[in-house]
This record gives sequence, structure tokens and C-alpha cells, in this order.
Amino acid sequence: MAPSVTTQETVARSPGLQLLINGQTYQIDSGSSMTPSTTLASLLREHLALTGVKIPCDQGACGACTVIMDGKAVLSCMVLAVEAHGHQILTIEGLPSDDCVVTAFAEQSEPGYGTALQCGFCTPGFVMTARALLDRVPSPTVSEIKEALSGNICRCGCYPGIAQAVRHASELTAKESA
Amino acid sequence: MKQAYTPRVQRRYVGAYRPRVDGIEKASGKAKYAGDLMVKCRVPGILYAKVLRSPFPHARIRSLDVSQAAQLRGVADVLTFEDPDVARLKSTNAGWTDGVDTLSYDRMMWRRFRDRRVLGSHARWVGDEVGAVVAAESEDIAEEALRLIKVDWEVLPFVLDPVDAMALGAPILHPELGDTNVLPKDTVGGADVFVNKGDAARGVADADIVLNATTTYHNATQNSLDNWNCLIEWTGDHITVWSNSYEAHQTRMHISQMLDVPLNNVRVVSPYVGGQFGRGDTGDQPFFLFTALLAKRTGRPVWFRHSRRESFHDGRQHLRYEGTIGAKRDGTITLLSFKSIGNVGAYADHSMFAIKFAPVEATEVAFAHIPNVRFEAHGVYTNKMPACMMRGVGNSQLNLILGRLVDGLAEALDIDPLDLACKNFGHPWEDLPNKSLVAVLRTGAARIAWNEKRHPPGEGPAVDGFKRHGVGFSFHPGWHAEWQELRRGEVHVTMTVNADCSVTLDAPTVETGTGSNTCNVLGCAEALSFLGISSDDIHWVSTMDTDVSPQDCVQTDSSVSFLQSEVMAAASREVKTKLLERIAPLLDATPPELDIDGGFVCRRDTPGCRRNVKELLYEASLDPITVAVSRRPLGTLTGIPFIATFAEVEVNTDTGQVLVLRLVVVNDCGTVMYASGAEAQQIGGQCIALGESLTEEIIYDERTGYPLNFNWIDYQIPTMADMPEIDPVLLEVWRGDGEYGACGLGEGTVTCTPRAVLNAIYNAIGVRIDRIPVKPEMVLRALGKTI
Repeated sequence: MAPSVTTQETVARSPGLQLLINGQTYQIDSGSSMTPSTTLASLLREHLALTGVKIPCDQGACGACTVIMDGKAVLSCMVLAVEAHGHQILTIEGLPSDDCVVTAFAEQSEPGYGTALQCGFCTPGFVMTARALLDRVPSPTVSEIKEALSGNICRCGCYPGIAQAVRHASELTAKESA
Repeated sequence: MKQAYTPRVQRRYVGAYRPRVDGIEKASGKAKYAGDLMVKCRVPGILYAKVLRSPFPHARIRSLDVSQAAQLRGVADVLTFEDPDVARLKSTNAGWTDGVDTLSYDRMMWRRFRDRRVLGSHARWVGDEVGAVVAAESEDIAEEALRLIKVDWEVLPFVLDPVDAMALGAPILHPELGDTNVLPKDTVGGADVFVNKGDAARGVADADIVLNATTTYHNATQNSLDNWNCLIEWTGDHITVWSNSYEAHQTRMHISQMLDVPLNNVRVVSPYVGGQFGRGDTGDQPFFLFTALLAKRTGRPVWFRHSRRESFHDGRQHLRYEGTIGAKRDGTITLLSFKSIGNVGAYADHSMFAIKFAPVEATEVAFAHIPNVRFEAHGVYTNKMPACMMRGVGNSQLNLILGRLVDGLAEALDIDPLDLACKNFGHPWEDLPNKSLVAVLRTGAARIAWNEKRHPPGEGPAVDGFKRHGVGFSFHPGWHAEWQELRRGEVHVTMTVNADCSVTLDAPTVETGTGSNTCNVLGCAEALSFLGISSDDIHWVSTMDTDVSPQDCVQTDSSVSFLQSEVMAAASREVKTKLLERIAPLLDATPPELDIDGGFVCRRDTPGCRRNVKELLYEASLDPITVAVSRRPLGTLTGIPFIATFAEVEVNTDTGQVLVLRLVVVNDCGTVMYASGAEAQQIGGQCIALGESLTEEIIYDERTGYPLNFNWIDYQIPTMADMPEIDPVLLEVWRGDGEYGACGLGEGTVTCTPRAVLNAIYNAIGVRIDRIPVKPEMVLRALGKTI
């Protein structure tokens, strides 16, 4: 059974969970099929159909489930749903459609670097990690990009294209804020 | 310096650097993969299947007691090997086809190796699917039910090493097939000695120098992020399968033939797939069958998926090659002789494709000018994870020895190895030197600064006193030219030009990441450019559905990039004919009097008189114009293009660490269909190739036969921080037949890198290491240091 989901902005204290996801308040009843071991990743995908969140490894090794929690990139498969109670969660579905990171990943085709995605399965995780990086460091160096994104696996191997996309997104952000 | 490639023929769309057509869909997280359609809240009544897996490398199930499991709350069904639905299933192989064609049970590629029972009772590796499968309201409940099954195991002796498995008295894995673990002669690969051109003894006698080497390629696995899954509904006579199978029609054929259901009662739907890399290269996985049976018995949709651990399911063949090369003093090669022993693991699947079939192809197209060539191979069953298909199947292992022999011979003869390669290797339809090979090697050498950076082995300058630099290369014939794709049968394309001149393109294939969707849209835009439309006016049908689409052109490689575009070129001519037939009456003309160019209809006799084709089409009729063309690939023997990788490494002689500084990846493509996608394949292949060279390896506990690293923490895939600078180089030198004369390039991008890295290490430290992955302790041992 799917949990009942309400979207009231204010929900009175209840025994369930309350999460602010993509700007919307979700009340997850304790009577749902969730258990104490349900991860945030599973809650987002299986119960709320936020399927931009992928769960390839379920053990914090690949980064494809990355979401932004209270401004910080986290591996949602390593966060219990109950730990997310009361926190703000941003998934890729919550990014504005013209988010410069999304656009830069989609459009990378600068010769010599390939594309920033192929099968696309890891892409939402990379986009969210990159988004969190740029929020924190608007103009990252190459080594800062590499370090920030080294927890994400792209088996299609688009790393050079991804690095270019992050650079382009950073430049776009700089232009917009100038 | 990054350099864009220069196309041989400038075209409007084909060959472009541009974003992928699915870029925004994927970058925004909106693209739907099979698993996304199956999330719990989207499928009312969904059940979850979990299969019992052997905890032993070799064991038999004497009996099962499932009574407690069946009574667990939330368990809907338990199916066991004793159930008549299961017991009646034919013995099978999980590699009916290499994906190029759709094959039935009686025509499967490996009909001598029907060594799999679906849900059998004889377990042959740790993780083997045996005994029972449970369907429950949640995966947790299904797993708990599996723990409640009481299994009476008869634990059997096991063997992990192929040489041990060949010895008399070794435990026999498949007694039903014979009294040996060595796979017999088969219908595709042939006998043990499967290439015997000329006379190997003469090759030795004619040589001034003979050199031997041994190389060992380990057992990497594909690691697609999109773990295999399926959701199956069985309603009345109809079975519907949603899956990330990328062989939709083969999956349909497999289910139809194994469960005895007519083909048109099986529907397979595959949306985007999150990477394949050869993953179990087949729609013939047994899990489709037991999941379907559970769906039938419960009357509910049943979902089966692999966990990450279970996704360590098949991989590359651990393959040991002994090679001999003989040559005259002037560098003329007189002999190439190889003997290999391949560890195929618990089931044969596609292993003999890697061990025999791929070398046969390479012999035909690259060793044509070498008078004496011999290959002998033995595939051996052991109690390890089965090997199957993996990107670069067979060629990766062959290149590890081939590149070693060429490099070693060149050193012994004091010839530049590039010159030695050009002097000897090529296909039979061209005199030496092969133009493609020369171009690939010369371009690669220039990009890596071969002449400046190469030095006698181990004699380069030391950096910081203890770091040594070196360069190396390796080359290989490509494959997937159009004439090598004849087994595909007909390639299908349906183009629909709608009343507003927009186009719906059904070029049936499952997009696994290779960019074939973008190639197809570019091919379609190119073919229909007379309509004055752009690629944005074309909608590519992204979900493969066997109820709707003609047979899929399987992405077993990236040759889909051109195969369907070749058909589109033909289809576009029919589109034009039909358009003119429809428009001609409006202009009081006959079709031959008219032409369409750049979006305008003109009279051939008065070119100045132009009418907008879009307006005319809309005016003539609102009926869409649909053209469906099916055509076999062209069979003209055109030879093949070559590929090469050049590597520059830094070896730390204190720690043994190998740092790859730079890779130059060179592909002759015939025609580049989509430059950004082709470069992405070249660059991307290095994640697998470098992982295989330095870090990726499945490790077993030799005492228990238990795999120790079926996860991504202990099995290490390169991340962005681990990758060197990569220079992708696209060339157009060779040309196939047809409109474009292109070839598939994605598979080959992994082939030459491990050997290029090993040759570079030799150049750096002057000591050979001939097995991968190269770990620091191997380097230190090679340098004679104590660890």
C-alpha cells in the first residue's frame, strides 16, 4: 500500500514523518508500508515516484541517488527516511527547468570531450552533486570539480564531458550573477 | 590541444558535433527506465520475486522444505524446482544469440552447450539461481521467506582454476554433458585448433627470430548501473514484460519458445536502458521465465530485479594466452601461433564466442598477409561466476598477447613497433601497408609525441628520483563493418511524414546510451533534408514495444549508429516519390516533372517556380505518409578499419603505483555518424579499459570458492579522480559500402588500452608485466623489490 500523502503546508504533530521535499511538505503516515529501515532513496522512489533518484548500489558507492539535504549533497541510500524527518530535501525534480547545470549537462558537445551523458542513469546524481558544489563554490577549479564528483560513478565514462559541463554551468552562473 | 575531426564529406547533419537528442530528458531526470515504471506506487498489486542462491560453489539440493516460507505473512507464492511448471522446462543456455540476430531454441548459437536448468537443483557457483523462487508483498518479505526455506544441501568438491579443472579426477560440473570440464567442439567456434592457416612448423623454420610470451587477462564485469529487472503480467493468454532487456525481440522469442506461448501473445516493452556493455548479452536469462510463471500462478504483476551484488552475474572470460611470433630479420612475420585456456565459469553462455569466434574474425581481417597462423583454445568450466559477453568480447584478451608479441619482436629486431605493425598487418582485399592502419598509427604517434617520449626500455629520465615515464601503444582490427553484420537479417525503419511536415521516426532499437537515437535522428534529417526540415522536426520513438514496432536492431555494439541510417537513405527516396505523387495534381503536373529540394517543390523545367512543400502537403491531404523499409545490410567485402590506443604512464618505483597520464584513442570510422557521440564512446570506453588495466578484478577466497568483492567498494571502478587526460581521435580513411560506409566503433574502444598501458610500463621500467590488473605489488615484484 502506498502511504497517504498530504500536501498541507502546516501539519500538526503526528506520529508519522514530515519532510519538505522540493518545496512541498509531505506527511508520511506511520501506517504506511515503510519500516524503520526504509531509506530516504526508497521513500523518494517507491513511495513518492520521484524516479530521478536512482539506486544502483544501495550502499553509498556510486552517487546515483544523490539529493540535496539542507543545502548539502547526500547519498539518499545512506540516509534513513526517519533521519530526513523535518529536513529540506531537493531532488532533481525540484530543480527549475532552466537550471544551468541541467542545461550544461544536456548540451555538452564541445569537441574533444564527448558528451556529459550517455545512458543517463548516473546523470541525476552527478547533476545534484554538481549543483551542490556550485551552490557552495560558484567557480570551482578543475581539482575541486574532480574531488566533488569523485563519489559518483559514470560507467559510460563521460567524466571529461561532465567536467566540461560543470565548468560551463559555473560560467553561466557567473554571467547570470554579474 | 583538443582537435575536432575533419569530415571527409561535409554533410548537413550526419557527423555533427551537437548535443544528444535525449540530453535534456536525461539531464533533468525525466527519462524513464524500466525500473522507473515499476515503482511500488505506480503498479497496484505488485509482487516482488527473490530467488534462492547457492551459498556454495558446488552443491546439489537433495530436498527443500518450503512450508514455513509459504506460511510467512505476505508471501504469495513459492515455486520450486520440483514444480511441474519448472521441471518441464527444457535445458537451455543463456546465450541463444550474440544479439546480432533473433534466434529460436533449435537455432541457438551454442546448442552443444545447453547446460542450464531453469531453477535447477545443481548449484555450480556461489550465487547460482537454484531451487526456489518466492513472490511476496515486499522484497524484505521475499528475502525473509528465502531464509525460512530449509535446504538439504549435498556439498560437492569444487574447482576454481581452469588448469586444475582439466586434470583427471577434477570435480565435473556438467556430468550430463560429458566426463570432462573442457568444452567440446561446437557449431560456431569449431574444434580446439580452430585456425590453422599454412603450417606453424614452417613459420618457425622460415623465421630468423622466434619469440614467446604469455599473457593473462582477468575477469572484469560490465557494471551497468541499471541493474537487470523485469515486471511481468500474465493476463489470459497474454504475457507482458517491461524490462531493461536491450534485446526486446530476443526476449520475446525466448519466453515464447520456453513457455510455449505464441510470439504474438508475448509483448516486450523496453524503454531507455541504463548501460549495457555486453551485460549478459542476451534476452535469454532464466529469470524471465520463473518471473513469468509466478505472474501466471498469482495472477498479479511480478517484479524481479538484481541487487548490486546479484548484478555480478556474468563478465569477461579470464583468459590465459601463450603466443609465439616468428619473423625474418627484416621484420616480415612468418608465424603467429596462439594457445589459450579460458575460464568460462559455471556455464558456457557466450564464452566460446570470445575464445574462438572473435579470433577467427581478427585472423580474417588483420592477419591475412601472415602465411602461417594457428589458434588453439580450450574453454573450461569452473565453479566461478559464468563469463559471457563484455564490450570488446574476445578481442580484448587477444590484443593483450598480440600487442605484446609485436612490441617484443620490434625490440628484438630493433625496429620501431609502428613500422613492424604496418609492414605485416592488414586485410586480404588490400595490399600492404594497410592505409587505415598507417593513418591510425601515425596520427596516434603524433598526438602522443611518440618519437620524443619513447626511449629504450627503463632508460628514460627519472622524475623526482624514483618516478619513471614511458609510452606504449597497441592496435587491433575493428569489427562491425556492414558486411560483418549480415546475420542481422533485415534492418527496419518506418518514417512517417505528418501533414505538418513533422516526422515520426520508428527506427526500432533500445537506446542503451550509445547515442544511436541521435545518430538515427541525424541520419533521418540528412535523408529527408530535401523537406527543408531540421533534426528538431523529427520525433524518435524511444520506447521499444514488440507489439508495435518491427524487429529491433540490437545495440550489441554501436553499429546501430549507421545500419538504420543506411536504410533511411533508401526510405527517404520512397518518401519523396509518395510526396510528389500526392502533390503533383495540385500543380497540374506529373511527378517526374517535379522535384523537392530545401523545402520547396519546383518544376524541373522551370527551376525558379517554387512552392513551399509544407503548405502543399497540408493542402493535399491530412493523411500522413508512411514508408516502411526493411533491408539486409550490404555484403560487399570492404575490409575493416583499424583502431589503436597510445598510453603515457608514470611508474612510481618506490610504491609500485602506476599513474596513467594520458591516453590517445584513435578510431578509423569510415564515416563519423555523430561526432560528439563517437568521442563519448572513445573517451567512455577508457573507464572500463583503464579499470580493467589497473583496478577491476573479481577476487575469490580460494579455500571456500566464495567471491569477496561483489560490490562497488571492493571492486573498484575508476571515478573522475582516477582518469587521465584522454584525447579522442576520429579518422575517416577506410570506407565501407553504402551511403555512409561507416562501422561500429564503441566496442573496440576498450580493446587496445590494457596492452598499451602494459607496453608503456615496460618502456618506463624495462621489466615486463604481462597480466592485468597491474597492482602496485606486481610492479614492485617485477622490479625485484621485497614487499
